[in-house]
Amino acid sequence: MKKSLFLLFLLVSLLFIVVACSDQESAGETGKGSSDEEVNAEENANESADKEITIAIDQNFVTLDPHNAGDTVSIYGIRSMYEGLVGFDEEMNVVPVLAEDYQVSDDALEYTFQLKEGVTFHDGEPFNAEAVKANFKRIIDDDSLRAHRNVQYIDTVEVLGDYEIKFTLNQPFSAMLNKFAMIPLASPKALDDESKDLGLNPVGTGPFKFEEWNQGDSLVVSKYEGYYENDKTNVEQVTFKPVPENGARAAMLQTGEADFVYPVPQQNAGDFEDVEGVEVTETPSTIARYVSINTFNEPFNDVKVRQAMNYAVDKNAYLQVVKNGFGNPLDSTMSSQTQYYSQQDTYDFDLEKAKELMAEAGYKDGFEAEIWGNTSSETVTGMEFIKQQLSQIGIDVKIQSMEEGTLSDEIYTPATPEEAKVQMWYVSWSPSSGDADGATRSLFSSEYLPPEGANTAYYDNSEVTDWINEANETSDAAEQEEIYKNIQSTVYEEAPWIFLASDVILSGSKTNLEGVYVLPDGSVSIANAKLK
Amino acid sequence: MMSKLQIETSTMEIPKVKSENRFLNFWRQFRKKKPALFSLYFVFLLLLTMVIGPHIVPYDPAEPNYNRLLEFPTLDHLFGTDEYGRDILSRIIVGARITLSVSVSAVLLGTVVGTVLGLVSGFFGKWVDKAIMRICDVLFAFPDLILAIGIVAILGPGVRNVIIAVAFFNIPSFARIVRGATLEVKEMLFVESARSVGASTTRIVWKHIFPETIPVIIVYFTMNVGTAILSAASLSFLGLGADPSSSDWGAMLSMSRDYIGSSFHLVFFPGLVIFLTVLAFNLLGDGLRDVLDPKTND
Repeated sequence: MKKSLFLLFLLVSLLFIVVACSDQESAGETGKGSSDEEVNAEENANESADKEITIAIDQNFVTLDPHNAGDTVSIYGIRSMYEGLVGFDEEMNVVPVLAEDYQVSDDALEYTFQLKEGVTFHDGEPFNAEAVKANFKRIIDDDSLRAHRNVQYIDTVEVLGDYEIKFTLNQPFSAMLNKFAMIPLASPKALDDESKDLGLNPVGTGPFKFEEWNQGDSLVVSKYEGYYENDKTNVEQVTFKPVPENGARAAMLQTGEADFVYPVPQQNAGDFEDVEGVEVTETPSTIARYVSINTFNEPFNDVKVRQAMNYAVDKNAYLQVVKNGFGNPLDSTMSSQTQYYSQQDTYDFDLEKAKELMAEAGYKDGFEAEIWGNTSSETVTGMEFIKQQLSQIGIDVKIQSMEEGTLSDEIYTPATPEEAKVQMWYVSWSPSSGDADGATRSLFSSEYLPPEGANTAYYDNSEVTDWINEANETSDAAEQEEIYKNIQSTVYEEAPWIFLASDVILSGSKTNLEGVYVLPDGSVSIANAKLK
Repeated sequence: MMSKLQIETSTMEIPKVKSENRFLNFWRQFRKKKPALFSLYFVFLLLLTMVIGPHIVPYDPAEPNYNRLLEFPTLDHLFGTDEYGRDILSRIIVGARITLSVSVSAVLLGTVVGTVLGLVSGFFGKWVDKAIMRICDVLFAFPDLILAIGIVAILGPGVRNVIIAVAFFNIPSFARIVRGATLEVKEMLFVESARSVGASTTRIVWKHIFPETIPVIIVYFTMNVGTAILSAASLSFLGLGADPSSSDWGAMLSMSRDYIGSSFHLVFFPGLVIFLTVLAFNLLGDGLRDVLDPKTND
């Protein structure tokens, strides 16, 4: 018995050693892209070691298809290799990128772009108006692409010259410029190439070009020598490394294994104060953290219950316990960094009031409920905190922590509100395009209930839905601001969420690295990376 | 454990005087094994904690105190406080009940099923033996924890399913051991004489063979409890076991692993009690084996 167990153990460990060795070999080989002798490969690596950086991030890339990415990590992975007509600067203002200049007609129906000349894609194809048209043709024709929603109002695309293109919308859409910034442009040759999956073989115009993507392990991009602004970066190679475990990611910054780490876990932010050569930066974000409450079912269809839940949660304690003091209470339906944000009177922690509201709603003795969330340790801590807080008003919460894929299936598959089993969902939202529409429409419009959108609170207020559509149809900024103000105060009052916090982004960087930063939407920009 | 042994031995069909001698004999030998003796005391202490734990805790283990988050051990809080300001000592004391009852009941379940299978397999032989042993071989081929994760993945997370999963991978080892002992006892003279006077199969297996396998079972039971605590803690750590808000030791480790750099006491104390408990059960098992079952001592 003992002996056979020992033998088994030996066998298994032998197997591991063999696998580990072959892993290392293949990693070394693919890293170089050839089967050079290992000694050579190592020498080469050492030579350019000072020009290579590693960026540790918290999640895996889902896809590299520039027109089909929905999650923040994939979006910024793609942005490292691609550019759009316009893009975002460090404060998320829209700035021209591949466009030299642009004009918007007064009725917000016509968008004309003059394109940069002399730009080439990574595969050598020239960038011109036809290339832009080919990209938009793909997105408009294929409604399974995630970017399709961004172009739903585009009526015609007209090539005016080699370097001029005009888009005409079928209805005024004020946030269109932000949407253009969300559409990276790929080489038309790569778009046509049926033999290669664009999601696995990205070809863009960005300062970095695709090297390799080991799914679940790393994404490697290298400097594109033919970039039109060749002094933009002096970094030869960038490796994105997904490290989901918080402690491990923080340790990578400490040991120098990573040059840039995002997010730095709040628990570890203090550890780096005395570390030489490492700097931790705080950036206010557009990330809103909340618990969405399924307002379709009892007892959550009663606004008093939902308000009571908001009063029962101590937001300051939340920030201390879950966020280690980093962050701000969420005082609207969006973070203060989002366009047209308007501050609301917060639900300050008030147990008496909460209990009163519960009694008025007829739930004096509380009820049982379930909260869902993913398996990350911060989410579990957050759900545990909500459970403790809601128990004060008699709500007995059961924590259900699910793997991300299962969770999103459970939430987005139900075809009708009746079928939806979700009661509370601990989650966050960040409008990648930084505009008020992105932070409102798919969350609160009754036209965007799952599976069509992310209105997981099943919030249905026809007035709000109308307002959201109205705001899109005007190009007058003052008018828009007024409409979004109404939306925010109405939604905040009706409390389809437990409003928790807006995040502060913590990123850590070696001090000899400049130009890598995190945007308020939580995406990492490496376009201007410079090593000193 | 001791009292159980006493009851079992006294039910054996041997003269009373001899049975007492047997126990005294055992105790005299066991007392000399110091590590095992101390482990026995420790296990008794744990059992006592399980029973009276909730009544002696200094703080309510579930009561958060947001003014005293992540405090290092002080006189107020001997083991410090966790990320919600809860007293870690109280949580560990209350957690003993969850952690130990999960692992002990899992092993108990595994022992009962495994023993029955082993007795049947060993006594009847032929195709019954072959079938049962091949199934055990298949189960042996899986690493324990992988098997448990698989079962929990099918049944869904939760304490009850963790018990089933851990019990499941205890079955084959007990079946094997009991089968071996059965094969040996089956050939002994008193079994043959029982058969010759016309005792029924059930009676022979139950009254004559089973009691002889008890010492082996006790030894392996004790040792497997240690492993089971680790497995259950691992499952909890992976988020497949106890509710993360409960004070199960594995769940405590899991919830606090993010703080290992800044507040080590969150991880240290639950880790320490798991370590001590597993060590105690293993040393106790070793001691029992030396005394009860010299043959397996290699």
